[in-house]
Amino acid sequence: MGNPGKIGVPMMNLVRLKGVPILQQLHLEERLLRTSSHNWCIINDATNQPTIVMGVSGKPAELLEIESVLCDQIPVVRRFTGGGTVLVDPGTIFVTFICNKDAVAGVQPYPQPIMSWSGALYNKVFQGIGDFHLRENDYVFGDRKFGGNAQSITKNRWIHHTSFLWDYEFRNMAYLKLPARVPEYRLARGHLEFICRMKDYLSRSVFIDRTIEAAKTHFSVRSTDLEAIETTANTKFCPSTRLLTMQELEAAAKFASQSKVSLTQSFSL
Amino acid sequence: MMIGRRIFILQKRSFTSVRRFLCPYTSQAPNPNPSPAQGSASFRSAGSRSSILHVSPSCSSYTFVISFNVPYIAVNRSFFSSHAVADLPVGGIVDVPLAQTGEGIAECELLKWFVQEGDQIEEFQPICEVQSDKATIEITSRYKGKVAQILYVPGDIVKVGETLLKIVVEEAQVSTYVLENPTPTQEGLKNIKPCDSELTKNDICGVLSTPAVRNLAKQHGVDLNDVKGTGKDGRILKEDVLQYAFQKGSIKDPSASLTSASRRQFLGGEEDHPHPSGEVLGSYEDKTVPLRGFQRTMVKSMSMAAKVPHFHYVDEINCDALVELKSSFQNTNSDPDVKHTFLPTLIKSLSMALSKYPLMNSCFNEELLEVILKGSHNIGIAMATPSGLVVPNIKNVQSLSILEITKELSRLQLLALDNKLNPADICGGTLTLSNIGAIGGKFGSPLLNLPEVSIIAIGRIQKVPQFTDDGNIYPASIMTVNIGADHRVLDGATVARFCGEWKQFIEKPELLMLHMK
Repeated sequence: MGNPGKIGVPMMNLVRLKGVPILQQLHLEERLLRTSSHNWCIINDATNQPTIVMGVSGKPAELLEIESVLCDQIPVVRRFTGGGTVLVDPGTIFVTFICNKDAVAGVQPYPQPIMSWSGALYNKVFQGIGDFHLRENDYVFGDRKFGGNAQSITKNRWIHHTSFLWDYEFRNMAYLKLPARVPEYRLARGHLEFICRMKDYLSRSVFIDRTIEAAKTHFSVRSTDLEAIETTANTKFCPSTRLLTMQELEAAAKFASQSKVSLTQSFSL
Repeated sequence: MMIGRRIFILQKRSFTSVRRFLCPYTSQAPNPNPSPAQGSASFRSAGSRSSILHVSPSCSSYTFVISFNVPYIAVNRSFFSSHAVADLPVGGIVDVPLAQTGEGIAECELLKWFVQEGDQIEEFQPICEVQSDKATIEITSRYKGKVAQILYVPGDIVKVGETLLKIVVEEAQVSTYVLENPTPTQEGLKNIKPCDSELTKNDICGVLSTPAVRNLAKQHGVDLNDVKGTGKDGRILKEDVLQYAFQKGSIKDPSASLTSASRRQFLGGEEDHPHPSGEVLGSYEDKTVPLRGFQRTMVKSMSMAAKVPHFHYVDEINCDALVELKSSFQNTNSDPDVKHTFLPTLIKSLSMALSKYPLMNSCFNEELLEVILKGSHNIGIAMATPSGLVVPNIKNVQSLSILEITKELSRLQLLALDNKLNPADICGGTLTLSNIGAIGGKFGSPLLNLPEVSIIAIGRIQKVPQFTDDGNIYPASIMTVNIGADHRVLDGATVARFCGEWKQFIEKPELLMLHMK
């Protein structure tokens, strides 16, 4: 169900946001994925405050340093797509593609083909700028990650969204545990040795402009604003992406400390 | 490309030797393209717990037995044909498997069901959502029919090809399907064997239970329809089946049949590694465990270590004085965060001995035929964590007090538990100590932690009878040690003398004071 703009090239609505809270962005994305029949590209240049975003089946006790998260009152969101946990903040740039399953020629609606397609798109974006690769499921310069991906594939559509580390704060790393599953290329590297900042390579505006240009090679891109979408919104739609409550986090903290106590007791000589 | 039409109407119920695929999306069978793409999605877990998602190491390991994406129908009366057939089966139970998602993913986590047993469903209706690695994926039904049985609950891990649910197909829905792949080979066709197992009442009954529970019921001759489920939504649990079987008189004691708790891991176990937790009574199927994280690292490091010519030197050390020293430390300890054990004293005395025998604390460069005598004594302590063997090291033991070593050891132990060890904690070790005795055993025969040239395995301190010179027996706390050494660098004499030196410091800890700076 592509809407051809130019002959044979489907239409894509481009929404440019700045500083929109990540929860609001994810609600929008989920709604567009599930209720719209158009193709969308959403770019959110920064989010307003540091927020932890877990994948659909993320468990706080396993992924987060809950005590610090509670103490510093960092909001924790569980999103509707798969994948891992990120801490997003004003240094993060988000780019999302929501497409009908046959919108992109030759790209089947499965995780890996979509991932490959996105890798090729960003290859164009970073041509001549850095040693860009799609490495397993991450975007890297060399062997350092600067972009993480997640997807959701429904009956007729798919979403592929990325959080780009344009900049990050070192102290924010402390909120996240070392994940249980890491890509092979990570080896034994801690956070700081594994990631890098996109700001060392290009400016925010250049990145965004180049991304839009790369999208234009696949779609006929037209700009839309948020207000236009929201006036036609399906008000019955209820997103699954949500903020975790304080009670949930406290319960997870309690569970985590109980597990630690029982494990520690078994280790003594 | 020739597009062929095939109708396969297969014998009996299921074909466990065959991969079966149900296109999750459309009537056209999309080609999920199993060829490896850039960066095959393999993951190494550096983390704490066993992963819930396992990804096969390469797409090439995921091969189609039948090289086309068509569903099959399992019906009561069936035959096999390569030609379009006029008379189609009138209906039956269809096993709906989890289709592969085109990237060699071997398993997915079931996130939620959109239907429940008894629901009428339409063709292409979404029936559930699964998660494979980075993606959530909606699975749709290829058939119109009624949901007969749901076989998994949200949170379960489902292997690709396993049956997700069973649908009663209302009418003949075996039709021709367009193939996008080349027609199947003769070999592929040969591999489709009829399955001998018959549909039992438990397979088509409308009760909620997992395959393992149904298997258990079969083992005990229990009809699940007669069992009251105590799980969520009336789900029948293992305990329900066992209780019912017990009441029926099939088994003696239901509690003895319940699964054992997952194994405990103990620090210092050098050969211990995680197992899939628990055993299900009556389920003796093979289980494939992909090696990840520390386990995977262990494969590589041990393979390399095996190439080094080792020799092992074994000795016994009298730990009476060590036991007394530890008690003394504990009695005078006022810090609740500090727990005194034997290891810190053993580590410190090891460092004292290394000062006299620096060759034991060296690294061997095979290419240059050089031995680097390391200035720092970075003693690695092998730890068995829930995700495998890891060896963090205590840096500069030569400059640390026993108390400082105790605290540092505790810090590393907690980090190892949480899987928060930094690369700095793991790198730079110069000698490894493996306290296999924490788990048990007399002593181990350790393999080197390359590029180190020696490794020490210490067994449990055991009270054994010893003889005095005049033939009297007295009890002594004896610990057996096994020093593994790189015979390209170290000879027996050096190791023996080193061990003697270390032994002296343990048996007479007051000597530590003599050398204290």
